[in-house]
Amino acid sequence: MLLFSLKPHCKLIFLVLLLWVSLLVDSNSGVELDESLTYIWPLPSEFTSGNQTLTVDPALSLFVLGKGGYSNILKEGFERYKKIIFKHASGISLFQKLRGIRSVYDISELRIIVNSDSEELQLGVDESYALFVAKNDGKSIVGEATIEANTVYGALRGLETFSQMCAFDYETKSVQIYKAPWYIKDNPRFAFRGLMLDTSRHYFPIDVIKQIIESMSYAKLNVLHWHIIDEESFPLEVPSYPKLWNGAYTKWERYTVEDASEIVSFAKMRGIHVMAEVDVPGHAESWGAGYPDVWPSSSCREPLDVSKNFTFELISGILSDIRKIFPFELFHLGGDEVHTDCWTSTPHIKQWLNDHNMTAKDAYQYFVLKAQEIAVSKDWTPVNWEETFNSFPSKLNPRTVVHNWLGPGVCPKAVAKGFKCIFSNQGAWYLDHLDVPWNQVYSAEPLEGINNVSEQNLVIGGEVCMWGETADASNVQQTIWPRAAAAAERLWSKREAVSVRNITSTILPRYHYFRCLLNRRGVQAAPATNFYARQPPTGAGSCYEQ
Amino acid sequence: MLHLCGKPHFRYSCLMFLVWVFQLVGLNSGFGLDSGLNQSLTYIWPLPCEHTSGNETLTVNPALSLSIIGHGGSFRILREGFRRYKRIIFKFSSGISVSRNSRRIRSLYDISALRIIVKSGSDELKLGVDESYTLFVDKTEGKSIVWETIIEASTIYGALRGLETFSQLCAFDYTTKSVQISRAPWYIKDKPRFAYRGLLLDTSRHHFPVDAIKSIIESMSYAKLILMHFLSRYLHIQNCGMVLTQNGSAIPSRMRVELSGIHVMAEVDVPGHAESWGAGYPDLWPNATCREPLDVTKNFTFDLISGILSEIREIFPFELFHLGGDEVNTDLWASFVLTDCWNKTRHVKQWLDKNKMKPKDAYRYFVLKAQEIAISKNWTPVNWEETFNAFAKNLNPRTVVHNWLGPGVCPKAVAKGFKCIFSNQNVWYLDHLDVSWDEVYYAEPLEGIGNASKQELVIGGEVCMWGETVDTSNVQQTIWPRAAAAAERLWSTEEALSADNNSVLQRLQYFRCLLNRRGVQAAPVTNYYARNPPSGSGSCYWQ
Repeated sequence: MLLFSLKPHCKLIFLVLLLWVSLLVDSNSGVELDESLTYIWPLPSEFTSGNQTLTVDPALSLFVLGKGGYSNILKEGFERYKKIIFKHASGISLFQKLRGIRSVYDISELRIIVNSDSEELQLGVDESYALFVAKNDGKSIVGEATIEANTVYGALRGLETFSQMCAFDYETKSVQIYKAPWYIKDNPRFAFRGLMLDTSRHYFPIDVIKQIIESMSYAKLNVLHWHIIDEESFPLEVPSYPKLWNGAYTKWERYTVEDASEIVSFAKMRGIHVMAEVDVPGHAESWGAGYPDVWPSSSCREPLDVSKNFTFELISGILSDIRKIFPFELFHLGGDEVHTDCWTSTPHIKQWLNDHNMTAKDAYQYFVLKAQEIAVSKDWTPVNWEETFNSFPSKLNPRTVVHNWLGPGVCPKAVAKGFKCIFSNQGAWYLDHLDVPWNQVYSAEPLEGINNVSEQNLVIGGEVCMWGETADASNVQQTIWPRAAAAAERLWSKREAVSVRNITSTILPRYHYFRCLLNRRGVQAAPATNFYARQPPTGAGSCYEQ
Repeated sequence: MLHLCGKPHFRYSCLMFLVWVFQLVGLNSGFGLDSGLNQSLTYIWPLPCEHTSGNETLTVNPALSLSIIGHGGSFRILREGFRRYKRIIFKFSSGISVSRNSRRIRSLYDISALRIIVKSGSDELKLGVDESYTLFVDKTEGKSIVWETIIEASTIYGALRGLETFSQLCAFDYTTKSVQISRAPWYIKDKPRFAYRGLLLDTSRHHFPVDAIKSIIESMSYAKLILMHFLSRYLHIQNCGMVLTQNGSAIPSRMRVELSGIHVMAEVDVPGHAESWGAGYPDLWPNATCREPLDVTKNFTFDLISGILSEIREIFPFELFHLGGDEVNTDLWASFVLTDCWNKTRHVKQWLDKNKMKPKDAYRYFVLKAQEIAISKNWTPVNWEETFNAFAKNLNPRTVVHNWLGPGVCPKAVAKGFKCIFSNQNVWYLDHLDVSWDEVYYAEPLEGIGNASKQELVIGGEVCMWGETVDTSNVQQTIWPRAAAAAERLWSTEEALSADNNSVLQRLQYFRCLLNRRGVQAAPVTNYYARNPPSGSGSCYWQ
């Protein structure tokens, strides 16, 4: 804590603050926040704060510096956060502007310095930033808030943090920053902080996907893993094979190439990667709606027919088409839950297996490796669900990123063999498992069981998975939030900060606070402490304690 | 159905349409893109009063322009409405519209202009404001090959309803990647059956952020609901005497609401349900341990009510004001909590004795005095039905009786000459999760009222979203889609409302998906319990 109260002009502020605090205590009959905690989610890696309360000018202006300062991503980000910060004050700001002098506010300008002018959004892009908010004690009477970052994406993270410091004060009807001056130096612990969305079990309209992406940025999540297709439906347009999206549920529940591109660019504006998944050879029955040839037979439809060249031509065609849409370097090839019965029971495939001297298991390996080659040839790094690693680790392309899901202990094995790994242990990070309370999500540690630092570095991060069997546009946000935020802090903040003993007293109040923040921003985050996720509140009460 | 195919220049279009239909059918193999959607139904919700349609499919220009013809007045509300609906209609094509526009000639689209004719220049939003409109989607006479769409309305609010209907005619076609209107030409003449089509939102049990309230209001306009009954029983009363709702600026600003053409009716519930007032002014409690109802003996109580009403009169211009007065069982008053506090507190008891009042009489005294205050502020008082049930003949004759306890109350109220709002809790309380969509749909506000002049006293109905188990996370999916079932009941003519459960269901499922596409979290329609998750994977159009 930085104590500035020794300086004479701060004494008055202190006095006023005390007065204000005592007023607050008087009028508050309900919930009170533990003021010793820092209500920024996820917790920054380093920060100091003080005791001042600063007011923020609703006409807050942006002043940019550095090579990357003139980025459109930055400008739009600033406008977005300004809308969030000054939501409440909009009704009175005009009036105040007419009446008051500008300098009655402590903070009237936000200065953002971006050192690099590159807007390339790669895995591991520099998201670090420093944020400084103080009342200017020098010559100028205007206070200052400064964000310094190497990239625009770091600056966006800094803007998010800044927006979380700002709170509307109902007494003065102005936006205030408490516990100033603030000095924050922050960077993510993991480069890959993902959320998986399944648009095959239920179709999500574009607006809903955008809402989800927007909400991800509030928790500093940075990868949308788009599980586009599964056995139930094929909603995506593939221009080279125009009959594929006949596998959509209805003619309205589809994504055009333009829709998909718009989602990618919408995400990029928020510093979020979109990792597409085309799951092969299992989970692909819906492909056959347009091209029945890829089914082993019309009665036995999964996995994709390993014996036909057409199957791989189709995969190659799909990947070529969507490579133009998804610039992110990682591409998910699935490879999970492959049940090969249809291969061994369909005569022409059985014959093919015999001709090639393969067991069904060999054919599964053959299929996955061939798909990997196709992805690699399109300049993609392949990601595969852990079954591929569990079955034939020595055969996998060495660049493969292993995506854990079945249980704990897989990433330690994968990194020991030199593979990169993504942690998604279903016991903790599958959001469709409604019986996993927030503290279990929070306590799941991606690096558990990995002690060697160079091996730890191979764990690129983790991902919470929102499988769509019982989540549609009506309830997906409240199934994702607030538990995805618990994982988000685990993935962003320092391990020491999140591995505290008594999370009920230290983390839970902050978690509640963040859930209410999501609600204020229009995100339908469910009550935090219900045992089952996405349950309604049990009765009347404050968001801050439910 | 209008069959225009006889005219020569239509033959070609008809042929093209047939080709298109065949293509569509050809595309469907097994996975079934059409999902058995019955093409003979009209997928507009709520169903318009009169409509005819044809067989043409028209394309709509993403650069659709607006021209307004009318007598003076401000058309800002209309222009903003048009912009809002344009965003909704062209959501999908935004990615390609620019390049297409530059490449193609404008006239390649059938519809490039929308004309709105408004007769009245007034933008006053009163109860019973004329919401009627006619909508033509038809070919202009003569030389031009450009199709034209016209909305004609008496007021801008009628025009807004017409815009909503127009937006529901438009659908994005994934094959041509353009917005189309099928079954044109359309001729629609529409007006609401009831003037009062409400949704109650209880912001006291849970706080709703401003954004959440705004999105509820926005979604109401999709179903042509017109009134939000805004209830904030727990008032936060500041030391300076200013009155705010608990969340300060959470009252939707007058501006915003007018833009959607939706009334906001405020409720300040007295004398019960008011314990929280005492957090700021403990004098209002009968005593520190017995806190409800408000102390009937003190002038301060009524001064405060008067003060509150004066303050919020400016915020809520709508002519109706809800004074609550509910949950007072007068038959059991002696044992009921409400009057209990009055009986148990010495100074209140003394006052009752002195004035020769029983608690029941004091309750009446309180309600009538509050009514007087509301009327003095130029408001028409609305009270929950208990007040009517307890002392009908004493109520101010302008009182609007708000039914909730069960069926049969509106018939009694209108028989005595009162206006009435139908909200029978067995069907229209949205917090009753075990009421299925069809029970909501088939509830009839005029049931038991045969006389036409009495029927007119039923100004409408309201679905009530009480807040014990809803907060920002789940309020929209508890409201929708069932509120839409009531919305059609309140808008469409009784004859238009189909008794065919199955066709209504298909149309409601379609509307639920429309809500989802517009970002409203409407829950699956056919789950037995409201707001339950989908039971498994599947299309929005059949869940």
